[in-house]
Amino acid sequence: MAKIDGTAAPRPTPNRVVPVLAAVALVLVWLLDLGTIQPNRIVPGTGHGLVSAVGWPGAGLVSLVLIASLAVSILPLAWRYWALLVLAGLSLALLPLLLEVFAARHLPPDSPYARSSVGAGFWCLLFLLSLMLIEILGRLKAGRGVQLLVMVVIGGSWLVLLRGAGLESLSLVREFNAQPDKFAQALRAHLALAFGAVAVSAGLAVMLALKMMRSPAWQRPILGAVSFMQTIPSLAVFGLLIAPLSALSSAFPVLQELGVRGIGWAPALLALIAYSLLPMVRNTFVALTEVPESLADAGRGMGMSERQLFFQLKVPLALPVIIEGVRITTIQAIGLTAVAALIGAGGFGGFIFQGLGQSAMDLVLLGALPTIALALVADALFTLLAASLRPVPATA
Amino acid sequence: MIELKQVTRRFGNVVAVDAIDLTIETGEVCVLVGSSGCGKSTTLRMINRLLPHSAGDILVDGKSITTMNPQQLRLNMGYVIQGTGLFPHWTVARNIAMVPRLLKWPQARIDERVRELMTLLDLDPATHADKYPQQLSGGQAQRVGVARALAADPNILLMDEPFGALDAITRDNLQLEMLRIQQQVRKTTVFVTHDIDEALKLATRIAVMDRGRIVQHDTPENILRRPASEFVENLVGRQDRGLKLMSLRPVRELMTPHASPKRSDPGADALKEDDSVRLALSVMLWQDLKQLAVFNARGEETGVITRERIMQDGL
Amino acid sequence: MRVWLPTVLLAALLGGLSVGMSVLEPLFAWVQPDTSRVIYERESFAFLLYNHLMLVVVSAVIGTIAAVAGGIFATRPAGRDFLPLVSQIASIGQTFPPVAVLALAVPVLGFGEAPILLALILYGLLPILRNTLAGLEGIDPAVREAALGMGMSPLQVLLRVELPLAGKVILAGIRTSVTINIATAAIGSTIGARTLGDPVIAGLVNGNTAYVLQGAILIGLLALTADSLFEALERNWDRHSGRVRPPVFR
Repeated sequence: MAKIDGTAAPRPTPNRVVPVLAAVALVLVWLLDLGTIQPNRIVPGTGHGLVSAVGWPGAGLVSLVLIASLAVSILPLAWRYWALLVLAGLSLALLPLLLEVFAARHLPPDSPYARSSVGAGFWCLLFLLSLMLIEILGRLKAGRGVQLLVMVVIGGSWLVLLRGAGLESLSLVREFNAQPDKFAQALRAHLALAFGAVAVSAGLAVMLALKMMRSPAWQRPILGAVSFMQTIPSLAVFGLLIAPLSALSSAFPVLQELGVRGIGWAPALLALIAYSLLPMVRNTFVALTEVPESLADAGRGMGMSERQLFFQLKVPLALPVIIEGVRITTIQAIGLTAVAALIGAGGFGGFIFQGLGQSAMDLVLLGALPTIALALVADALFTLLAASLRPVPATA
Repeated sequence: MIELKQVTRRFGNVVAVDAIDLTIETGEVCVLVGSSGCGKSTTLRMINRLLPHSAGDILVDGKSITTMNPQQLRLNMGYVIQGTGLFPHWTVARNIAMVPRLLKWPQARIDERVRELMTLLDLDPATHADKYPQQLSGGQAQRVGVARALAADPNILLMDEPFGALDAITRDNLQLEMLRIQQQVRKTTVFVTHDIDEALKLATRIAVMDRGRIVQHDTPENILRRPASEFVENLVGRQDRGLKLMSLRPVRELMTPHASPKRSDPGADALKEDDSVRLALSVMLWQDLKQLAVFNARGEETGVITRERIMQDGL
Repeated sequence: MRVWLPTVLLAALLGGLSVGMSVLEPLFAWVQPDTSRVIYERESFAFLLYNHLMLVVVSAVIGTIAAVAGGIFATRPAGRDFLPLVSQIASIGQTFPPVAVLALAVPVLGFGEAPILLALILYGLLPILRNTLAGLEGIDPAVREAALGMGMSPLQVLLRVELPLAGKVILAGIRTSVTINIATAAIGSTIGARTLGDPVIAGLVNGNTAYVLQGAILIGLLALTADSLFEALERNWDRHSGRVRPPVFR
């Protein structure tokens, strides 16, 4: 079939996605509350719309940025995506300034308990700007370097702004400042559990995958067992582990001294490992068995031993797929660790469930947002790792 | 009859087909040939409106295709493509029945037609009708593709490198098969290929395309004898032309006929009236003979062909 | 018929236990000897099961409709521009832990069934969306080309060719979605939904292992029943499309 190379056309076609996102953002940011002011932690606050929150200059600036991105995206200019990248990237990086202006304008200066909260309008703006950024980076076919740079700039700017004095009144910051040690402890517990489970299951998965390669009769039972475990909901698994583990620990006092009980880190770790096995075993097995037999034959033909073949050919070729398994497993484990807080395993889930119990929404956010952030960071890191380990650089 | 008048197709700023004029008479096989990217597939896909043309007009039997409903237009044009495009979730029979079903033929008529077509294409209905496409060999799948295109007896057949992905032997068989079927059904056919030998073998007329233009539109013999440009000359092969011309010519034209057919035993490798002069020459050279007997389809010896005659009048 | 047998058996066990959990009272009394209340009685298990099931079914139905419609839109000529973004959303969205999504629904919508339903729908449509896109994009372009070229209308191509061909992949997406949502709905107990998570949470709060076990067993059975149902549906699909099942490890 005769294919005509579309890239030869110099006139870029207008983008339809960015205008839609910008228009939706414009409507929502004017309709919804940008933020709320609460007199204290529990009492529901009063909402402020865009103009009330940041005044006419602020509202004008926000609208101008959105209208500008809408306009730039439909202009047939060659460099428009770079312009949009700068526009959307800067807006995202400086977004917390809106909250700072809001707090400065509305927070009563004499009440130490009053706090400002983020409203639906702000969340929508954040969400739609992020989608815009994703779309722009995709259209630019931006390399890993550019993507990383954008992330670092935005993330760094947020960290600096959130730690600054201007946002001290933000409820989330208040919650964090009230218990920075507990936060650090939760972070440590969360990471220890999630990565502990991933590390143990990685070791087990390699052993199981090798067993399956050597004796194919084991493939069905092993894969059946690990996918069965994946089917059972996490809450049920945590629940089902309580009885046997408490029985064990009361029968063997040594275990009790180690901290193994029906609730706590022990059942959480066990359940997390069980869950992590499926993606790990499957990816490792598939990766190692899918190395083309013709390549292995070529290696054999040139005198490589089976051992050399395994370490010099199969492992390097399989590594990106195995890393992909580790990525899926890690994201899953980070999420499940949050659930494990229900059986007293600690971590960010503790804040979530404590906040839900006390109807303290900011505490819920203090647990939920870092959990999401951890998952996103893990996703980015492992994607980067897998890409850099790919033996042949992926062509654009 | 299909007429293309000043038809142009642009993709962005790129002109894929540049103001071409082409008339394809009813019942002829017009082969569009050229290297990849020359616009031949684009031209074909404009005829059934899978691609709209940017300028000019395309007429089918005197009517502009832009005035017709595209679905109605396509239902009256069989379409065969390189990857077969058979629906993997339907059986062979259901695939062939596709257009008749769209046209809401009665089931009995559809069944009858499917059987008829499978027989025409040398596929045993009993063994193949209920198979799925992925259970067929490449050649069988393409036979089904051709059967599907012929199912509702369209007036026009569009074929886009239908045999391009097949191995040489299967391709040869299907080309012969196509010549045989074409003698029976006489469809107005537009056939796209990059293989000049395929074009020479199948075409009544060839349109050579280069960079979106038709550089020559003529019978295979004239394309070989009088190439219009250096491009065409290179395409048909400068030094190979003598043999290619011989392969267009049947032995019947150069043989010395007997007064009346003689009964004799032709043997499996005997030369037939329809075989090419090129084949006759090849056999003579290999067996070091000065002449060969020629047989007709019934196995009677109808004449002889001599090496001398081929050398004199072969081209 | 044999493919449905595990589903029927599991469903029967699930239904039986949710009505007659008290049959197992001696067992739970042995697990939790120091309490007088051995069987969870705040709500009937049948009610909790029904509620849990409704949450999952409603979210699956709405999520499937929305995701398949979105997937179809993004693969039509009119919506092609949105395809990269939509597929990015489908993959990035799945990195968000379901618990976190559930927790975020509360500040926005408050406690109760509505935020849970919304969270389940939003989170559950991501795997279906991803699989719809994969299924539709995975179709050999020659098939679509041939279908159009032979005179099918775009709607006929979609309904008779594309959706049947992508159907199995979409079904697998629904399976993933339902599996996740059964688990997430159970955690929904913590934000005020009446689901089978209730006994587990109550048991954890009160230190009553018997309650925890009862809830956990029913949740596990529900998940297995749903999974075997999808397993049977997938096999049935293979039989109807007549294809030999390739040896896929799941």
